[in-house]
Amino acid sequence: MTDIFAGVMSNFWVGLGIKLGIVAGLIPVVGMIIGFAEMKLSAKMQNRVGPYYAGGRWGWAQLIADGIKFFQKEDIIPANADRQIFKIAPALVLASTVALVVVIPFGPGLAFRNLELGLFFALAISSLSTIGVLIAGWSSANKYSLIGGLRAAGQLIAYELPLVLSVVGVVVLAGTMNLTTIVEAQIAAGYPYLVLQFVGFGIFMIAALAELSRIPFDMPIAESELVMGYLTEYTGFRFLFFFLAEFANMFTMSAIAATLFLGGYWLPGMTEEQMIVAGPLILAAKVFLLIFVMIWFRWTFPRFREDQLQRIAWKVLVPLALANIAVTAILKVVI
Amino acid sequence: MTSSQPEAESAEEAGAAEEVEAPHPLAEYAESVASAVGGEGVVTFDTVKVTVPADQWVETLTTARDELGLVMLSFVSAIDWSNQPAVGEALEEELEEETFELLATVADLTEGRRVTFSTRIPHEEAVIDSLVEVYAGANWHEREAHEMFGIVFTGHPDLSHLYLPDGFLGNPLLKSFPLLSREVKPWPGTVDVEAMPEDDDDESEAESEGDGDEAAPADEAEPEEATDDEADDEEGS
Amino acid sequence: MTLDQESVRHLSEVSVSVELETPEMTLNIGPQHPSTHGVLRLMARVDGERTYDVRPVIGYMHRGYEKLAEVRTYPQITTIVNRIDWVSGYANEVPFMTAAEKLMEIEVPERALWIRTILTEMARISSHLVFMASYPLELGAATPLFFALRERERVLDLLESVTGGRFHPNFNRIGGVKPAYGSGSSTRKMIQDLPASFFAETKLAMENVLEACEQLEDLVAGNEIILARTRGVGVLPPEVAAAYGVTGPNLRASGVAFDLRKVEDYLPYDQFDFDVVTGENGDCWDRWYVRLQEIRQSARIVSQAVDSIPSGPLQAKVPKVIKVPRGETYVRAENPKGEMGYYLVSDGGQGPYRLKIRSASFSNISILPWALEGVLIPDIIAIMGSLDFVLGDVDR
Repeated sequence: MTDIFAGVMSNFWVGLGIKLGIVAGLIPVVGMIIGFAEMKLSAKMQNRVGPYYAGGRWGWAQLIADGIKFFQKEDIIPANADRQIFKIAPALVLASTVALVVVIPFGPGLAFRNLELGLFFALAISSLSTIGVLIAGWSSANKYSLIGGLRAAGQLIAYELPLVLSVVGVVVLAGTMNLTTIVEAQIAAGYPYLVLQFVGFGIFMIAALAELSRIPFDMPIAESELVMGYLTEYTGFRFLFFFLAEFANMFTMSAIAATLFLGGYWLPGMTEEQMIVAGPLILAAKVFLLIFVMIWFRWTFPRFREDQLQRIAWKVLVPLALANIAVTAILKVVI
Repeated sequence: MTSSQPEAESAEEAGAAEEVEAPHPLAEYAESVASAVGGEGVVTFDTVKVTVPADQWVETLTTARDELGLVMLSFVSAIDWSNQPAVGEALEEELEEETFELLATVADLTEGRRVTFSTRIPHEEAVIDSLVEVYAGANWHEREAHEMFGIVFTGHPDLSHLYLPDGFLGNPLLKSFPLLSREVKPWPGTVDVEAMPEDDDDESEAESEGDGDEAAPADEAEPEEATDDEADDEEGS
Repeated sequence: MTLDQESVRHLSEVSVSVELETPEMTLNIGPQHPSTHGVLRLMARVDGERTYDVRPVIGYMHRGYEKLAEVRTYPQITTIVNRIDWVSGYANEVPFMTAAEKLMEIEVPERALWIRTILTEMARISSHLVFMASYPLELGAATPLFFALRERERVLDLLESVTGGRFHPNFNRIGGVKPAYGSGSSTRKMIQDLPASFFAETKLAMENVLEACEQLEDLVAGNEIILARTRGVGVLPPEVAAAYGVTGPNLRASGVAFDLRKVEDYLPYDQFDFDVVTGENGDCWDRWYVRLQEIRQSARIVSQAVDSIPSGPLQAKVPKVIKVPRGETYVRAENPKGEMGYYLVSDGGQGPYRLKIRSASFSNISILPWALEGVLIPDIIAIMGSLDFVLGDVDR
């Protein structure tokens, strides 16, 4: 079985085609699954039922129906908007998410592309979406969008630092930025890095929530104040791109967190062959756990105000992350 | 215009007060307020009303706020006393002079006293000083009175329209301002379809009174008389 | 003047140290907006996130109540008056009825007064639960909405079983409340009072409301982010509040223990045991907390009332055609939103000569230009929401 697989993959163009196909197909599917999970989980938390009718009793086809609905809507671009940039913005956000999937290890040797600087690449690519959000807000020719876009710029840039600094502890412990090697280091150590790097994990999750613009950090969207913030003027399939990008980004950020801190595709006591087969499922389970926590936060907390948000980023998270790095480095040398 | 009959209070104090001759519990307070501001005070149906001349309007309310402890502004409004209303019924007694009566109700926060100060200004020259310096909340109330009655408040920072759209002509609450719907269809008279509880049995209901046309109400009355179910009422003791 | 290197460097330094001037922008928090409780328009001049001043534009819902009242009879006005503050429908009718009854010198039967009290307090619970639902939503928390509105449904069902309407009860008559008529020939001679199971269901509903208050307090009151968003935001000093005519829970949150239920005698509140809830600082948090406690106090009043309501007629004897004798009076009542008053001027006809409606929300939002000066944009929403107004009440 693995021989056929290796044989197929050895042809570069066929392998590339298959990989691109999987990545391109993964994003919408994952986005829809997570969106459906959000609808159902939020309903449970609020004493409701959630989607019920679409596709039988479970309502599983709700997101598919929503996708079709978005596609058949009229494509409205405001008269004063900057047309080219207006069209590029959702593509930019979605592209950065898709690019992130490339480096995630789904199993031993099962990353689409195992870069030596995998972690560096992931964090750098994910910050491209900031530009997408900013130009979405600017090009919409709408004061609400402008305020949303500028808030987004401030927030996303502010939380890049804690995001990046929080993973330095893991890099120090593992000695590499290659995501697959980090998982192998955790396998060799016998415990996930969460045990040692719980501070880093907390900071990473908070910063990831802020990067995703989810409540409690959804000032850029802030439905009750800015109608939809930078998304106000986006309708139809352009809104669908943003929508999918947000959920897919939840997946990729959680996958990175699971890889770095929770051990990725590994559970204690598994052999190599088991990990090749069950690895993706285990990773998916860990990712789903993290996504559940994100959804839980969204429906429990209100949103922070912009200045409180910035204060948390600069005055709390960055010093904490720096302290984490220092302690980790000292302990690594000492112990 | 106002009657100042002393009146026995509601059920709780009925035992204490005597009948018509006993003075109203608020009469003393009304007197004290009136003498403090230099006006005339009456108690009209449990409301203390003090009338002052128009040129003392601002000083009266300043005294009320500072010396009498009436710090809370309830409302500032006006009444258009006019003889020829375009809507509604005319007054029973003709007025000699058509005036605006300005009302300002203020209250205190500790003992629950409230006083309505009133003054009169003539129709032709409806100008009075603004109360914005005394009570900050009078700003919006006076804007409303201005657009509804046309009264000009001197010293008000911004007498623009509050409710009405820009470009609306006229002052709606004047008695001379007609209601468009009444121009289209004349006043049908009062139509009262629901019966009042009465003592006698076999009460027929849906009596309609009014000076307008009876045809429409009478038609409504017929089918209802046929079904007695909803009609009957009996005074339960 | 020669430009040598020294002076060029000096010039460049000078130009860089000038402050970056950002132009201000007029943001229309327009009539259609998720958070303005109706069609309120705020013209805000903002610079970045900070507002310079805010000018409210109202009147999008002006229906001309005071002019309408001049061409209606008193029973007809009852039908329109509950639409002023539609969230607490029943509470709008009571002071108007009291004013007319005062001028006619009618004594309302005890039972009718107690029923009015029960229904007014239930209207208060309903209105405050709407606030509990919508205020956290404006801050971003979507879940308390469902908890609060679920309990409100029970109260509205009870209101509907008695009056026939959830929002517009139209249940008062001059002289009391509406006597219900039995149907069917066997009950021809019987006045059917309140529905048979009303008292038991009301007690159950009040227990559920108290439970919901516990849940809301757990979910919202201890939440760090809500505290950060509302504490110290929108402080209204009591003197300023009184000068603007702000009343109701907003004034009580500023520390003034002023409740018209304890002061006025339009309903028999002295027969019930309840506390006047005040706050300490007058910020948004206190306004939220005062309303939560008021729900509890109202549930207390209703429970006491259904326990010991006196029997008797539901309406006093009034003539068939209501003619209110000449007179003027001002009756004010403690509406859920604040002080609602009716200044009734009657000339002896079948309708009023002038009816001035003093609505609570009108005065409550007249303080917005003062309160919103120099705050951040999210705080505009937080402060506005905490004043709990309804546009029907503002515009009449």
